[in-house]
Amino acid sequence: MGQLVVDIADYAVSNDVDATLITYSLGSCIGVCVWDPVARVGGMLHYMLPESSLSPEKAKSNPAMFCDTGVPLLFRSLYELGAVKKRLVVKVAGGSQLLDDKGTFNIGKRNYLALRKIFWKNAIMIHGEDVGGSVSRTVRLHLGTGEVVVRSRNREVAI
Amino acid sequence: MSTLTMDELVSRVERIPRLPDTAMRLIRVVSDPRSSIQEIVTTIRYDQAVTTEVLRVCNSAYFGLSRRVNSIDDAICLLGTAKVLQLVLSVHTQTLLSRPQEGYGLMPGALWEHSVAVATGCQLLTHRLELGDAGLLFTAGLLHDIGKVILNETVATEYAEIVKRVSEGGRSFLEAEQEVLGFTHPEVGARLAETWQLSEEINRCIRYHHEPDDLPVPDPRVDAVHLADVSCLLMGIGGGETDGLAYRARPAVLDRHGLSEKALESIGAEITIELKYVRKLFDASR
Repeated sequence: MGQLVVDIADYAVSNDVDATLITYSLGSCIGVCVWDPVARVGGMLHYMLPESSLSPEKAKSNPAMFCDTGVPLLFRSLYELGAVKKRLVVKVAGGSQLLDDKGTFNIGKRNYLALRKIFWKNAIMIHGEDVGGSVSRTVRLHLGTGEVVVRSRNREVAI
Repeated sequence: MSTLTMDELVSRVERIPRLPDTAMRLIRVVSDPRSSIQEIVTTIRYDQAVTTEVLRVCNSAYFGLSRRVNSIDDAICLLGTAKVLQLVLSVHTQTLLSRPQEGYGLMPGALWEHSVAVATGCQLLTHRLELGDAGLLFTAGLLHDIGKVILNETVATEYAEIVKRVSEGGRSFLEAEQEVLGFTHPEVGARLAETWQLSEEINRCIRYHHEPDDLPVPDPRVDAVHLADVSCLLMGIGGGETDGLAYRARPAVLDRHGLSEKALESIGAEITIELKYVRKLFDASR
């Protein structure tokens, strides 16, 4: 059974039902897992920052770095593999925070809000999530079953 | 609470692999602002093992050069002194920092990758904050978490109690280390730096990297290590599964240097891009 590792600021899609997509060490970054149960295709994005306006130049060479360029790229790639929007099961993990009373370092929260905004605009529902807190997460998406498992400090949960 | 004393803990230093003598010499030369580039090059030139590794990286497919790089001087022409120095120090610390640190939930290689990324971030901040000598801060970044190597076993033994305090008690990981073990990894790291006779500047960066506001007078270099570390923790670069992001960020550091949230995001993005480059460099030479 193949395991495809999705690096930070990167994404992957596949129609191999025996494969698992995995991304390690999500801090304030967000892992977006999308799966079509009929076409049996799925994909994962590990983006770092909310908006590409920070650096259009970086967004051009690394679109998966930002939410607003990475999410459309992930969905487009899935449609090319035969996925259909209304069937998509979307699960989200990450968006952790440092302990910071002032919220100055709240990239995790802003990452999550950016995703909610883009999903709301495109009428996409989140079916399961494990976000926030101060943990580092590892996320797996099993392409045969669509199961998403999140591992963090002392727990492992299916979302 | 653990009954170990700091001295008992530091005596464990003997059990961890020492940094090679050339690395120690190089670190001292780099952290002395009076030393010249030529002195640094000389230090590297006589270390055969490191020269071999540097040349292997330079001759790797990644660079796709039409001619072979045969000496450290060639490498410096190609990559610049700063890059070659980074490479040499990274090679030197690889063995020591690449072992898995189970207590902190760090996979093999993760602590080294985190350390290289923080060092890279320090270098970016050196230019941004105009802190002068990049070599010193690069080294401080590379060694900032060295205390974890010693404290790892103790953290592993007291794992359940530490995790409970962090997950349920709202403590930062540092506070949990202090309460359960009696010391923190920056304290242990600074003590080790003292044993290794590293410069006071590097020692201070290691000791205060999580608590830059605790210094009587803020030190911009300590601030830089804090920001680089925080950026890497946020981006999840080599973060441990045990401690994760459970550290206190110090917003005053941003204020002190007139940095915005966006500036912090840019630093995170740049470290990640640079780290991918460094990774390719090392992978390509294997």
